[in-house]
Amino acid sequence: MSSRLPPVTGEWIDRSRGVDFTFDGRAYRGCAGDTPASALWAADVHVLGRSFKYHRPRGVLSLANHDVNTMMQAGARLNLRADVEPLEQGMALTSVNTAGGASGDRLRILNALGGFLPVGFYYKAFHRPKALFPFWERVFRRMTGLGTLDFGAPHIRTPKRYDFCDVLVVGAGPAGLHAALAAGRAGAKVVLVDENARIGGSLGYQRGGSIEGFEMLRDLERDLADLPNVSVRPGTLAAGYYADHWIPLVDAQRMTKLRPRAVIVAGGAFEQPAVFRNNDAPGVMLASAAQRLLYRYAVKPMDKALVLTANADGYRAALDLMAHGVAIAAVADLRADGEPSALSMRVKQVGIPVLKSHCVLEAEAVGDRLVAATVCPTGADGKPDTASPQKFACDGLVMSVGWAPAAALLYQAGASMRYDTTTHQFVPERLPAGVFACGRVNGVYALDSRCEDGERAGTEAARHLGFDTPERSFSIAPERSPPSHPWPIVEHPAGKNFVDFDEDLHLRDFHNAAQEGFDNIELMKRYTTVGMGPSQGKHSNMNAIRVLARIRGVSPGEVGTTTARPFFHPVPLSHLAGRGFNVHRETPLHSRHDGLGAVWMQAGVWLRPEYYALPGKRKSEIVRDEARAVRDAVGLIDVGTLGKMELYGPDAGAFLERVYTAKFSGMKPGTTRYAVMLDESGVVIDDGVVARLSEQHFYFTTTTTGSTTVYRELQRWNAQWNLEVGIVNATGAFAAMNLAGPKARAVLRKLTSLDLSNEAFPYLALREADVAGVPARLMRVGFVGELGYEIHVPADRAARVWDALMEAGQDDGIRPFGVEAQRLLRLEKGHIIIGQDTDGLTQPDEAGLEWAVKVDKPFFVGKRSVEIVRKNGPRQKLVGFELDAIGASTAPRECHLVVRNGAIAGRVTSIAWSDTLGKHVGLAFVAPDMTELNSPFFIRADGGTMVQARVVPTPFYDAEGLRQKVVD
Amino acid sequence: MKILTCPVNGPRPVSEFAYGGEVRPMPDGATCTDREWADYVFNRSGVPGVKIEWWYHIASGTWFYAERDTVADRVIRTWLPA
Amino acid sequence: MPYQLLRFAFASKHPEPRMFRTPERLKNAYDAVIIGAGGHGLASAYYLARDHGMTNVAVLERGYIGGGNTGRNTTIIRSNYLTPEGVAFYDQSVRLWQDLSQDFDLNLFYATRGHFTLAHTDSAVRTMRWRAEVNKHFGVDSELVGPDEVRKAAPQIDITCGGHAPILGALYHAPGAIARHDAVAWGYGRGADQRGVEIHQQTEVLGINVESGKVTGVRTTKGDIATPRVLSAVAGFTPRVTDMVGLRTPIYIHPLQAMVTEPMKPWLDPILVSGSLHVYVSQSARGELVMGASLDPYELHATRSTLDFVEGLAAHMLDMFPFLSNARVNRQWAGMADMTPDFAPIMGTTPVEGFYLDAGWGTWGFKATPVCGKTMSWTVANGRNHELIKGFNLSRFERYELTGEKGAASVGH
Repeated sequence: MSSRLPPVTGEWIDRSRGVDFTFDGRAYRGCAGDTPASALWAADVHVLGRSFKYHRPRGVLSLANHDVNTMMQAGARLNLRADVEPLEQGMALTSVNTAGGASGDRLRILNALGGFLPVGFYYKAFHRPKALFPFWERVFRRMTGLGTLDFGAPHIRTPKRYDFCDVLVVGAGPAGLHAALAAGRAGAKVVLVDENARIGGSLGYQRGGSIEGFEMLRDLERDLADLPNVSVRPGTLAAGYYADHWIPLVDAQRMTKLRPRAVIVAGGAFEQPAVFRNNDAPGVMLASAAQRLLYRYAVKPMDKALVLTANADGYRAALDLMAHGVAIAAVADLRADGEPSALSMRVKQVGIPVLKSHCVLEAEAVGDRLVAATVCPTGADGKPDTASPQKFACDGLVMSVGWAPAAALLYQAGASMRYDTTTHQFVPERLPAGVFACGRVNGVYALDSRCEDGERAGTEAARHLGFDTPERSFSIAPERSPPSHPWPIVEHPAGKNFVDFDEDLHLRDFHNAAQEGFDNIELMKRYTTVGMGPSQGKHSNMNAIRVLARIRGVSPGEVGTTTARPFFHPVPLSHLAGRGFNVHRETPLHSRHDGLGAVWMQAGVWLRPEYYALPGKRKSEIVRDEARAVRDAVGLIDVGTLGKMELYGPDAGAFLERVYTAKFSGMKPGTTRYAVMLDESGVVIDDGVVARLSEQHFYFTTTTTGSTTVYRELQRWNAQWNLEVGIVNATGAFAAMNLAGPKARAVLRKLTSLDLSNEAFPYLALREADVAGVPARLMRVGFVGELGYEIHVPADRAARVWDALMEAGQDDGIRPFGVEAQRLLRLEKGHIIIGQDTDGLTQPDEAGLEWAVKVDKPFFVGKRSVEIVRKNGPRQKLVGFELDAIGASTAPRECHLVVRNGAIAGRVTSIAWSDTLGKHVGLAFVAPDMTELNSPFFIRADGGTMVQARVVPTPFYDAEGLRQKVVD
Repeated sequence: MKILTCPVNGPRPVSEFAYGGEVRPMPDGATCTDREWADYVFNRSGVPGVKIEWWYHIASGTWFYAERDTVADRVIRTWLPA
Repeated sequence: MPYQLLRFAFASKHPEPRMFRTPERLKNAYDAVIIGAGGHGLASAYYLARDHGMTNVAVLERGYIGGGNTGRNTTIIRSNYLTPEGVAFYDQSVRLWQDLSQDFDLNLFYATRGHFTLAHTDSAVRTMRWRAEVNKHFGVDSELVGPDEVRKAAPQIDITCGGHAPILGALYHAPGAIARHDAVAWGYGRGADQRGVEIHQQTEVLGINVESGKVTGVRTTKGDIATPRVLSAVAGFTPRVTDMVGLRTPIYIHPLQAMVTEPMKPWLDPILVSGSLHVYVSQSARGELVMGASLDPYELHATRSTLDFVEGLAAHMLDMFPFLSNARVNRQWAGMADMTPDFAPIMGTTPVEGFYLDAGWGTWGFKATPVCGKTMSWTVANGRNHELIKGFNLSRFERYELTGEKGAASVGH
């Protein structure tokens, strides 16, 4: 059997293309253009899913992306919206969160246990006895959640787009279409989006048995096609509103970040369910859902319907259903006076009985399908008069009792909303600049009025942006009768009158929550979880507000709304993540290191060679050998990740004196000096080497990770002090490598005509000369404690210099060395690494840098703080230490604690086995009274082993520095 | 995304900028008390309102002042230091 | 089925009383006034009444109970801090947490999940070792573990994190837990209310009266109150309150954002945190992935959301869990974090007599809720700082004695 109707004008399905799919293991056939829900409904499958808490059967409710209970799984796609997602050939759909499928769900037993599980039941049990809670937690974790992840699913990388326009119109119903046309005709560049697969909104399906609205849509589409400046994008969701009109547009493929200059929200309204017993039975649906089934998918929603209404839309729905062969048992109208418009006459003319002042008390389902509805009179207070109920046999019940504005974007934009007592809905009261609203979201319902309101909004938006617009005034007629009923809610002693379908909350839950003190809308939301399900309260928040208002005896306006946060509909992580770019930097010598087998490590944003792998050798061996090459012959390391700054101007020396702790004014050109930088609280934040190239030109380095922030802060000081100085961050412009080892001079000599003799180029001097034909800045510095030259060359010619050095050093056994060997070599010299041997609170005196801090200068950043801190003396001191003979396996590691009398007295900041020295050496923070040379202290190593260390002077290696100074 | 107007480069998305905190005059370290100096180093006026702040346009390396309402996140004006 | 549920089915009327009353009006005077009915304020009220017999106490709240950061945080509870002060303090907090559901007779869904702080660089490994060593020293269950242990606890994770941030190790903290945040405020609120404390919602503080350096009263939208003691526990609103008593503090306000996916069947048992990728994630009892990232980059006294936040966090989530591409983000939100220069709180007495501060809770306040209540109530009742919070006093800044967690936070290279 099939409920597919003969062709319907404007239907979205393509009958020539069948689509085969399965649901819970059974095979079905739908059409291209169907959704899983419409295809199943056409195949007379009415249990499309199960509810979250009670596992009650659920069918079509909205067919508008709010049918959370009918979410399905399709392979790796979880929580697929069966009511709106396109049906695809071969889809193997299963229901979500069931035991054994939607129709046979074994967990439906929970429905019978509902009485044990009132609102917030989980707060009231399972915690006693305490030891049992983990058991209950496991039970909960089996029951909870919806779709299932496929851990083998691929990483989907979607491209993102950026777009700009004058006016974004959200929603392509009658109001939005008119808004887009008006703005477009004024000359604005317009983007019109609609989340539905086709534009038109209610023109397509709320027809009232007439073709007029649909023909109007055809005309509007033609008009739009004449405007090349209007881009129409169906299937596109405006997912949120962010500051300064920044709107993510989400379609099936990607997210487009749109920056319109003005935004018109014409997103319409969500039809709201009525609340009565068993209002969730499959077959009970919103009138708009029934109309969508009819006109989009050509599916007959039911054979016989009862229409529950409180507005004109319900009458239209009755006519629509009747026009397609659905028998109408009756129209129950909550209103005492019924429908004031001509619709009421039309309904009567076709023989539909209308019951005024009547509500539905209860729906009745047999075998998971609606079979009847009980109707009874309702008083002015909204209370049902159950004395004389009438029962109507029906397999469908359509509800059209009111609307709630789709105002999420307006809230996010900062609009203030007020409760309007003529329409019984929240409407915009004050809109932010450049944001406009029209149509149902603006409280305008009559079709002519919506068109007019759309034209008004489009015109105003264009005028706001300075486009020429026709001088005309707009008058929007007030609604003849409220589109929403203020109390579409019927209490029933047996409950199961659902307010929130996502979360399975029925009316009593709200009364109980209020009784427990949760009588503020936000508290009620948090306690009941109303609106916290995947549909975010689109069909539940308004009724929840009405219920709470009545409990408290105030108006819905006084209750207020909860905050509408992004997203409008949930958005896949893949769309948000996009391609997932991750930034890292490579030095100009990257390919050379790769060729040499570099093992990479991260240093801030940079990649640096940790060491150079060799077949058959372990890391520790390699590092030792790389270090030995530097000590015994010559090594080459890429230090191009250091920050490299140029400083020019007559005040350059004075500037440096203010930002570093040392003195620089008296430096002679051609010399270098170690430099320490403090923050304003006197904490060590960076170090480097300052070189003076000429009277007004300095060149200096910063740490690898500090370069960006140091440069930024120096610029800020410069902006304040107004000294005559300019700073250039040359980090990327220069490459730098350090050639070090006793044979460094011999190697370098082959590539430069510079006099490298000690007299001509002494320790700590700077020279400019060609190296391998490339202009270079050479600094004789000794970080690793050997004769060494730090060679800075233009980045684009770095590889040439590296290659030349490697080749020139071949006979002398040159080896490239990595960060790991460098760390060992510098440790042997007792040189600290900022950030490893210091931390975020280290003062210079604690790190043994007193000598570099010249407090006799009038000012430097951090000076005043250093003076204050010095009054109390250091809290800890960095000392060198060595271990008495010990195996490598029990040696402490970096950040192991120094322990004295059972208390923490410091920590190891650096430690390594030195082959050169034949022992473990390290640096550690210790208490100030533990610094006496040769005094022992204990370090707690892995497994709690206490290892004895002794304070020794640094440098550990070549204490006089003869190797770096080189006396020849 | 928020738009901020760099006095040199015009309106740009806020992701191109770094925030530099409220502009605070530095006391004279030679004459102020320890407590005054510590107040300068650590304390902030965290009260919401219209403040003059440092902002930095990263790509162009431009520091500038912005007068901003820290509740509404509305930038009233931006200008370069004299 | 637990017996507690049986009574629900067999009672004709919902057998639960109000958790908290709505007092008609403010009294003229209270022994103490607590500003802020979040977790911290209500916990302080609860212990003031329970442990110190002070029940003539008003809790003033401009919004509603638990509506600030208590109801906005990602509910992670742990004690694996770096400083001795921090470890001792949070360890006490975790101990209190573990019995809180029974204390309240309200199930907070306190779920011990294990907490991994992932290290993607060797410097991060060093920092994790430092924290592990300090933790172990104080008897806190933390251990530096290798990538294999991470894989064992979360087998689905891409251990290379997309190839650009391989996990080299982690600080594993077995007691790491999550809890139902709102219920914490309700439990404390109910307990305080039962003991006579008045909770006044929708009551905004307009000013605090100080005479000769002493607190004498509070002015509110519902009238004026005389009181010798005021405790400010208002997180992101702290600067507004300290301004009322003329107090300068280092606190600055930045938003902290979070987001949550649709519910999915539980698969992620532990809590995972990655400093390098700016991700923290756990799966809630509802099956949602609850995710956060780093602080917003500039001062703002608002709880607006940004798209950049979700974009960045989503990308890093997919680095760790590529198979989540089809999972959808349901909602994002924000809180206002009261930050301090040393990433440690500011607690206890202030230069204004009778004015007590419980602030500077930045991104780490939820986990401290019980111990804050304990120590702040002691401090208010006794007029001097509780032993556990001495290191967190406001005066530490002018003494340059920052106790902070900043030490580890800024270890770079």
